[in-house]
Amino acid sequence: MTDRPCRLLPFDGLGGYRGFMGILAKIFTWWNGATIGTSLYSLRKGRQVGEDSTGNRYFEAKDKSGRRWVIYNGPNDASRVPPEWHGWLHHTHDLLPHELPAARNWEAEYSPNATGTADAYRPAGALERGGKRAAATGDYEAWSPN
Amino acid sequence: MPKVTVDGIEIEVPAGSTVLQACEAAGKEIPRFCYHERLSIAGNCRMCLVEVAPGPPKPQASCALPAMEGQTIRTDSPMVKAAREGVMEFLLINHPLDCPICDQGGECDLQDQSVAYGRGSSRYDENKRAVTEKYMGPIVKTVMTRCIQCTRCVRFAEEVAGVEEIGAIYRGENMQITSYLERAVTSELSGNVVDLCPVGALTSKPYAFEARPWELTKTPGIDVMDAMGTNVRFDSRGRQLLRIVPRINEDVNEEWAHDKTRHAVDGLTARRLDRPFVRKNGKLEAASWEDAFKAVAAAAKKAGGSVTAVAGDMVDCETMFAARELVTALGGSMLEGRQTGLAYDTSSLSAVNFNTGIANIEKADVILLVGSDLRREAPLVNARVLKAIRKRGAKVFAIGPETDLTYKVENLGASLKTLTKLPKAVADAFKNAARPAIIVGGGALRYEGAHGAALALAEKYKLVRELEDGSTWNGFNVLHFAASRMGGLMLGYAFAGGIRALAVEKPKLGFFLGADEVNYDLFADTFKVYVGHHGDAGAHAADVILPAAAYTEKAGTYVNLEGRVQRGERAVFPPGDAREDWAIFRALSDVVGKKLPFDNLEQLRTKMAAAVPALGVEGLADYGWVVPKLDAKPEGDVADYPIKDFYLTNAICRASATMQRCSAELVHGETFAEAAE
Repeated sequence: MTDRPCRLLPFDGLGGYRGFMGILAKIFTWWNGATIGTSLYSLRKGRQVGEDSTGNRYFEAKDKSGRRWVIYNGPNDASRVPPEWHGWLHHTHDLLPHELPAARNWEAEYSPNATGTADAYRPAGALERGGKRAAATGDYEAWSPN
Repeated sequence: MPKVTVDGIEIEVPAGSTVLQACEAAGKEIPRFCYHERLSIAGNCRMCLVEVAPGPPKPQASCALPAMEGQTIRTDSPMVKAAREGVMEFLLINHPLDCPICDQGGECDLQDQSVAYGRGSSRYDENKRAVTEKYMGPIVKTVMTRCIQCTRCVRFAEEVAGVEEIGAIYRGENMQITSYLERAVTSELSGNVVDLCPVGALTSKPYAFEARPWELTKTPGIDVMDAMGTNVRFDSRGRQLLRIVPRINEDVNEEWAHDKTRHAVDGLTARRLDRPFVRKNGKLEAASWEDAFKAVAAAAKKAGGSVTAVAGDMVDCETMFAARELVTALGGSMLEGRQTGLAYDTSSLSAVNFNTGIANIEKADVILLVGSDLRREAPLVNARVLKAIRKRGAKVFAIGPETDLTYKVENLGASLKTLTKLPKAVADAFKNAARPAIIVGGGALRYEGAHGAALALAEKYKLVRELEDGSTWNGFNVLHFAASRMGGLMLGYAFAGGIRALAVEKPKLGFFLGADEVNYDLFADTFKVYVGHHGDAGAHAADVILPAAAYTEKAGTYVNLEGRVQRGERAVFPPGDAREDWAIFRALSDVVGKKLPFDNLEQLRTKMAAAVPALGVEGLADYGWVVPKLDAKPEGDVADYPIKDFYLTNAICRASATMQRCSAELVHGETFAEAAE
């Protein structure tokens, strides 16, 4: 495990808010990254053990409690934790991503749950995909003279 | 009439009743697995235990115990409750706990009764018995580990189907139900063992894992695969019909249905006509309803009254009536339903009816089959004849080529001349019989004189007579095997001289109502309009195809071979652009300028009942008994029987993968090796 420097107030990842609005967002919203309380707690009691490709930062308690937590870079959405960190975060194993076996070449890139975003899955015929549905023909086999 | 007391209720039951029947008469439910009203009593499941006094101080199997005068029966005592729980526990010792993947789930006697009469928990930790898989053919799927050895299937095969091809080997816990040689059960009625099986040991192979019973919409209907008019239930989910099972009707099918009735279902989703077609430059092309109607209207204008309608084997009376009205409105009068060229006299409907009745034929004591392969033409009538032989010792004689009817028949040779002079033994049997009957089949009706000779025979031996109990016995029967036949004859679908004579008239316009057995070469000069639901012979020959509804997709009136008027309801909608047949004729009549006087099915039925009153009343139509004067000098032999392949007799069957497989395996003897599961 390697120690990394911890930033006091991680203002990046506040949905685009910067400067004064960023500070206000930090104070009044809980859904963008860590709240001030969590940030202070992380600084005091936590030790950052790593950061994933999307900038989520992972902490472990300095004391013997073994607590592990994550501060999101952006919206607090649990599905944004990639699988290699998920195992560590949930105490499934103690291995950090770089200690895990290399990813297989057939493993797909991880993507968070897209529900509620513009990238969400829309079935064929959904209004967002033009609303055009195929005629219902699947339940019988039509005769053709040829 | 013994008087018994059931749980304090005093009740009188018919002599010969069992204790179980007495309990039922008193309104008490007795759980059972092996007992079945229509099969012999086995008494081996022990689920029907009750307490009977006087008698030994232990529970007794009520299904096998005769009800006696003065018996006191208890079905609610602690002893009975403990006995049922005990029996249920024994049955469940070796029954696998695979209800979630079992097709019987939801309609399983064992499930229901273990909830109602079993213990709440299991005390059994040991391994369960496993049974090797069996093969019973293309219809019956087996999972023999689930078998509780009630032997209903064994008894059914022997007593009703008449084929001794299912049996039990080994004993005790090791008993196994098997078809002995891993061969398909050759009975046309084999699908009924699926209904009989109280557990999931025998389930339907084509329907395996298709649906759960509680998902299905159930619609009462009438089967059209033969002329029996089997009462069935259409089970559908959404737009699709998933299975057909029989309904109980004691007068018609009891509670049986043959395999074609049950399993031609998948034919209803294949080769369907779902849009109109018009022939252009010798090729059928998809068209709109308007264009198709215009093409027919143009032909109708040119036809000038030379119009005919030929009805197929599966159409309902409403369709035939609507077509008849349109043909009449266009100035035509040529109607025919006997597609294959039969030309028997129809001046008296009683002379072409199954007068004895389906239920009564099992009371006959001497039966003469004339050119009738009962087993293929009407398997359920055949089962009734088998019952007459087994229960009353009836004697059966046959004129025609030898064929296996599942029971012993004394064959008198194929010569039709035998009809005019019966051998002495047969003549004596007829003279001494109380309820003699003759069944004339399609194999004989082809020959001139056979019909007349059979009627003469009926006169000579007084087949129509008063019985001792005052009722009338009519032993003269003609056996049809097209569901539309009797209805068609009532609506006048019979041309003097048959379809060949009709073709000689060279009609200019012809409506072919699902007629796929017609020799279309005869109608080369006719503008052929095919109104039907399957792409078969008729569709290939047609000039215009108007897509219509199959029997599950329209409410219809059908008349079965004994003249019973029955109505079926619509289960699903016709596919694509197809419409109900009567509506097609109504719409077409508007285009040709001869508007028919009905706008909905009710109005049509009212008009039909006005034209043919008997079609307006459900139940047996009364044709009286009129003997027409006919040529009674038959010549030659009955060469063969009309049904060569039981499983492929109509367009729906021919489109059905299950029926094709049955035909290949059971008629043509192909073997299908099953991969070991």
